[in-house]
Amino acid sequence: MVKKTRSELALAILEKLAEKPLSTQQVSESVESNWSTVNEVLEELKKEGKVKEIVSTDKIKIYQRITGDTYFEIPIAEDEKKKFRTLFFWILQEYKSRGTIPTKTHLAKATVSLIKRDNKELIDLPVVWYIYGMIPLMIADPAKDYQEEFNFEHKIKIKSLIKEYIDENGSMSSGQIQKKQHLEYNGEIYQLSDALFDSLNESKLNKDNILNLLNKLFIACPIDNDFPEIFGLMEKFVSIVNKLSVFSNLNDNRKEISATFDALWKFIATYKFYKSLIEQKRFLLNQELIFNLYIRSTLEVRRNCLEESLSNLYSIYLNKLDDREIEISPEVEKIREIMEGWTGED
Amino acid sequence: MVKDSFFDANIIVFYADFSKNTKNDIMKKCYEYITNKNGRFILCYATMRELLNVASKRAIIHKEILRKIENNSHDLERSNFLAKRDVPFAKKLYEQHKNKNKEELSKQFTEDRKIFDIKIEQFIKTKVDEKVIPMEQINNELVNIIHDIINNRADCQILASVIQYQKGKELFLFVTADNQDFSLNPYEYLKDYFNINYSKDNFKFPELHNLIFK
Repeated sequence: MVKKTRSELALAILEKLAEKPLSTQQVSESVESNWSTVNEVLEELKKEGKVKEIVSTDKIKIYQRITGDTYFEIPIAEDEKKKFRTLFFWILQEYKSRGTIPTKTHLAKATVSLIKRDNKELIDLPVVWYIYGMIPLMIADPAKDYQEEFNFEHKIKIKSLIKEYIDENGSMSSGQIQKKQHLEYNGEIYQLSDALFDSLNESKLNKDNILNLLNKLFIACPIDNDFPEIFGLMEKFVSIVNKLSVFSNLNDNRKEISATFDALWKFIATYKFYKSLIEQKRFLLNQELIFNLYIRSTLEVRRNCLEESLSNLYSIYLNKLDDREIEISPEVEKIREIMEGWTGED
Repeated sequence: MVKDSFFDANIIVFYADFSKNTKNDIMKKCYEYITNKNGRFILCYATMRELLNVASKRAIIHKEILRKIENNSHDLERSNFLAKRDVPFAKKLYEQHKNKNKEELSKQFTEDRKIFDIKIEQFIKTKVDEKVIPMEQINNELVNIIHDIINNRADCQILASVIQYQKGKELFLFVTADNQDFSLNPYEYLKDYFNINYSKDNFKFPELHNLIFK
């Protein structure tokens, strides 16, 4: 066996880590090089910002490759990256031929639309739901200099789909294109989130409209055994805003309500990202690994931010709370009659 | 001399659920006990945490009913989210509201939870004189001893807080509407159990004031 040079070894290690995160021992076995050399090269790559330690204990270190080209650094095959980059290139080219440069949203949504419309060569390219709706798993960046890297069999068909998409959507704003997509792919909770963000941005808050949207969000919010806090925290937000509306004008606390909903939405969107990712078979097979290595820490940080924001909003409500009597409607009386004797104890 | 009242969670739940149409006598007693306040009201953090859990459980009951209205095959009895004791309430609520528009029903449920929560929070803010024994100060050894007799961990933490707070103080009332662990005989048994097995620790129990038997 020919001994690899330092740079060849570094390249081999990066290739292996592009598939999935590995421990030093696993890297050493997969590139057939001794542990201490591999450890040294990994340390160098870490300093260069090409890999990062995602687990570091006395006994084990697990490294992940940093490419920055997919969301959460989720690994995808090199061929898939080439396909994505080629699509990005063609879309950008088409926009430029019309004298415009697309936004990141336009580029991402156009790519999703192509993948969803073409049932031949693009069908396996991963798309996920995230903060602004459905997006390609590979980050679309209109400022990048993409090239045609993949030889698609149905190149003409794909290019015609791109033209069709831009004819239809090219003149829309990013926000419009986003809302249209949420409607098209039946992202109910996304449509409600769009409406609530819009409502919270109005010059004067419309209390009834906001409470109505919160009611719909409560209905649409998933309740998931593995992630009970998604429903739990959504319910807490809905509850605090409802109660606050009794004792205060929501306009007075618009900033805090908006900030809390923003934090809630980022938390829910991270969960949606993970759930939509593992709907795809290859990710489902490694769902625990994917969750632990790529998603868990972000979800935890976002939950902490949300809890802090909720706690702030709750303090505002508690300060406004007084001992006024709240009238009970006949409909609620009927609910209460059934709940008589309920203590909520296990 | 008027004794202070240290509350179990169920008293406050019954108080918050009481309305002019309530027929349940115990709920009425709880409402009156709190409304006609006599002496100081004391609440421990374990009870406050329990009240938060109860509010979340009510939201889950509502959510599960809405899910069943969306999809009739959703089985309330096999729900992973409903506590066993909550299933009959959920089923009754569903039966009464199954033909309603889900958005309208959800609004009514939200209104119900809103009033329920507000009543609890008003009670804590305006009627409670002292909040005692933060969760981290609960004596876990004491909780474990109680747990040998009482299954429900939340109840154990509440009772441990009660016993800890009673130490060195005038006897106060432990006010509950519990028909199980804190009903008359089990409470006496618990006192005897402590007197016999932990006599040197000198644990002092407050006077049980169970509104079911008043």
